[in-house]
Amino acid sequence: MITPLPPGIQLEKVDDRIMTLNVGPQHPGSGHMRLIIKVDGDYIVSCDPDPGYVHRGEEKMAEYRNYIQNIPHLERPVIHDSCNILYPYCLAVEDLLGLEVPERAKYIRVIASELNRCVYTLYWLAIYGIFLGHSTMFMWPVGDREFCIDLLEAMSGARVTHAYFVPGGVRNDLPANFEERCLRQIDYFEKRLKQYEDIFYQNPVLKQRTEGTGVLSRMDAIRLGTTGSVLRSAGVDFDVRKKEPYDVYDNLDFQTQVLKEGDSYARSRVPYLDMLESCRIIKDALKKMPKSGSVRTKLKPNPKGGNDEVYRRVESGRGSLGMYVVSDGKPEPYRVKISVGSFRNLICMPYLLKGEKLGNMPAVYWSLNYWPVEADR
Amino acid sequence: MSSETTIDEKSSETVETKPEIAKKEITPVVEPKFEKSLAEKVVSKFGTIVTIGFIKPNRIRINAKKENILDVATFIRDELNFDHAESVTGVDYPKSKEIEVVYHLGSYTEPQLAKQVLTLATRVPREDIPNPGHDSTRMPSLRDVFYSVEFHERECFEMLGVYFDGHPDNRRLLLPEDWADIPPFRKDFGIKGR
Amino acid sequence: MSSIAPEFRLSRFVASLTDLIFWVIVIFTLIGLPIVFILLFYIKLPVIDDKLLTPYLALTWLADPSRTLPIIKSLMHTDFFRITTFPGFGFAALLAAGTIYIERKFLAKMQLRVGPLYCGKIEGILQLMGDGLKLISKEIIIPAKADKPIFWVAPLLFVGTAAAFISLIPVAPGWVVADLDVGLLAVFAVIGFFPIITILSSWSANSKFPFIGGIRALHQMVSFEIPLILSLLGIVILTGTLNLTEIVESQQHYWWIIFMPIGAIVFFTTILAELERIPFDLPEAESEIVAGWLTEFSGMMYGLVQLGSYLKLYAFAALFTILFLGGWNGPMIWPPFPQEIITEGIKMGPITMHVPGLPLLDQEMLNGTLWFTIKTIGVILVILLPRGVFPRIRIDLLLHTGWYKLIGLSFVNIFIALALVYAGVLGPGGLIQ
Repeated sequence: MITPLPPGIQLEKVDDRIMTLNVGPQHPGSGHMRLIIKVDGDYIVSCDPDPGYVHRGEEKMAEYRNYIQNIPHLERPVIHDSCNILYPYCLAVEDLLGLEVPERAKYIRVIASELNRCVYTLYWLAIYGIFLGHSTMFMWPVGDREFCIDLLEAMSGARVTHAYFVPGGVRNDLPANFEERCLRQIDYFEKRLKQYEDIFYQNPVLKQRTEGTGVLSRMDAIRLGTTGSVLRSAGVDFDVRKKEPYDVYDNLDFQTQVLKEGDSYARSRVPYLDMLESCRIIKDALKKMPKSGSVRTKLKPNPKGGNDEVYRRVESGRGSLGMYVVSDGKPEPYRVKISVGSFRNLICMPYLLKGEKLGNMPAVYWSLNYWPVEADR
Repeated sequence: MSSETTIDEKSSETVETKPEIAKKEITPVVEPKFEKSLAEKVVSKFGTIVTIGFIKPNRIRINAKKENILDVATFIRDELNFDHAESVTGVDYPKSKEIEVVYHLGSYTEPQLAKQVLTLATRVPREDIPNPGHDSTRMPSLRDVFYSVEFHERECFEMLGVYFDGHPDNRRLLLPEDWADIPPFRKDFGIKGR
Repeated sequence: MSSIAPEFRLSRFVASLTDLIFWVIVIFTLIGLPIVFILLFYIKLPVIDDKLLTPYLALTWLADPSRTLPIIKSLMHTDFFRITTFPGFGFAALLAAGTIYIERKFLAKMQLRVGPLYCGKIEGILQLMGDGLKLISKEIIIPAKADKPIFWVAPLLFVGTAAAFISLIPVAPGWVVADLDVGLLAVFAVIGFFPIITILSSWSANSKFPFIGGIRALHQMVSFEIPLILSLLGIVILTGTLNLTEIVESQQHYWWIIFMPIGAIVFFTTILAELERIPFDLPEAESEIVAGWLTEFSGMMYGLVQLGSYLKLYAFAALFTILFLGGWNGPMIWPPFPQEIITEGIKMGPITMHVPGLPLLDQEMLNGTLWFTIKTIGVILVILLPRGVFPRIRIDLLLHTGWYKLIGLSFVNIFIALALVYAGVLGPGGLIQ
């Protein structure tokens, strides 16, 4: 958006007005990526995202390891959401190998997945807070994240990279007294979430700043193929957990959170509302879970899939996360493609930032729920 | 590569359930009705140009020739109401000297189609000594049909060397600008030590 | 044998020490002492106990501890002491250092953290010293294409301007560095320097992010200086003076915040903006423009700018105290100096120590300083508070706030002041006072 030149002042070239800013990869407001931003005064004329600084070739690595060996390294793109990124892989491999998952394992998977969603969203929210200059909102979620991490540690033994889901169930059963502990911490967590509402989401300065900025219309959200919170904040009711329920999500009681505004504020609010729903899901799942039973179907050594391909998707913290696994009958997959929400939402960035003020850049950028490491894979 | 995995041995205490592969093979595969009707719509429109890869619950695969892929994609968007692409994957088949480009299409507007993922696949020729952008490994871009494939096709171009004709922005996305090796996701690009 | 110094000889070490001592003595007697005497020739020395304080007399008194107090007392009334130590730089720097520590602990408590904890054993009290040492020992890097003289001098100018601001602040009755009749005008003039220094440093750095930050700072400071000046006009109308000491004396019964709360609110908001504190820290907005106009500063240059900004924080808080909260006025709570020490001396068992020159400071001054410090620290805490509560505002909202809302409110404040004067409630010959 180049503002028309005032009469009387003649510039030689339009380019003279425009300054190129390299936001990243060593910029405190960029993450592991670079945004090449051109500004005209305080307005952004164009934005060209340049990801790839943390590309590690996870998909290529997966072609050289067998189905079990792939588990620990496939969760590396999002270690804060590691259960959710392994979930579609496990579902796909179960389809390929024809495995049945025990009922109790399904519930444990749902609980772990929702806890991990909270861990991810809290971390994301913390960075959103510090991007907007709200340092309290950085410290609080990072502190409260510990409670969810402790629960996941009790389940899986690892604090961040759990490698908890395996094809055929989960790696190990829940520890003793897990249910009481989990319920107690979820109660505390729900209390804290209400305080976040007071200090952050109802903050007049925040509302002034983010409401009406970076508006993504419903049709644009669909056309650009966005997913997750970006899509739901634009008024599209689409949640893989509801629309294509996997494991036991069709038994559980929860609602899809949809907002209509499509601006930065709505985009930042949908993940928060999702966390409240996650608490409901965990409580419900703890109630309905079989109290004992097997948690894992035993695999044959070195399992082989047929000549087949499977595409499974789940709802992760950043939206629909799909795994496309092609098998050619060998113990290793022939091709694994991770279709991640971050990468799909990246396309919004040039569209939303064009014409925005430079001060809105962090608010719009991080509200897209974009995780640079996951997008690069 | 080790054939046994240590994780398997740990779970021997849990109750064992046999792998159910054998059971699944016995039951006759029933093709779901809704998915079949969708696939038949495509086949009745294009006839022999397209073939149906498989019809599974919630998943349909349609193979098309790369010359017709634009027409098929436009038909899928306009008549079947699939409105966005979830991913674009390139799969390298060096034995048949082909690279398969797979589009996973989904729909947000049609509630019936919410759980469907339509796989649209096409194959492009593959050259042993690739020269991305200047050899025969090219196909028409679907960017004008599905806007959301823009970045996915850029990724496919740099990773597999498939050039998309008509794509407005055929630059590198993830790889560094000075990458001088062959496209890394081709099968002949080996990882060290494997 | 230590491997660090394998050829260590004690004799050589001792020889080098004596060598050093010899040269120090030689240089001191040949160059140092003459310089001291030449200086003393030109400096007007005080008269203490009807005797001119010659260097020999000073040294004689130094030998007798009970007679040093008159010297200190006379020193405390020199301008040098006032500029460097009490109402001037030293006092302000001490309060500023305290502010940094309080800010970190206070913010940490607000955010459920502990803050500085290890350095200095007790609640990280020496953390600031450690930070200072780190900044001093760091390398100073200057951008290759920077305008070097201006870039070098900008942090010094910043601290100097902040110190000039401090010199106008009266802390206790009679305790002010520069007691000007146009004190408030001088404050406005000094504040007007800050945007110039900011834009000079950001422009001379020849880098993009400092440039944007400097332009933002310029916009912000210029647009908030107008409501700042206007919001204080009400007080000038009511008191009829620009002298800060007289303004404080006019508040012996009522503080001006009672009559002009709107002016106080406007002034407080503009303080936040002038100090570039959250929610108005746009010139240093980290996630947008790295560190704004401070991006290219490194090492002690950055440390100087930080020192200057905290001195500025103290000065603005003190100005708020003086103008709206009655300055040093408050009930007398400082205990009087015990008379028996003056008359009888300090008794320690069999020995009686008679100390002439006591008390060093009178009771009124100590009481005034106490109240002033308490009020200023209170204002500083309120200035620090928004940092834990608010996110950063955007530049267009900021300018809108400055030009529309605050200027309008400050005009309302002026009308209130005028109404109070013309109704005969306040001002010369008013009902109150």
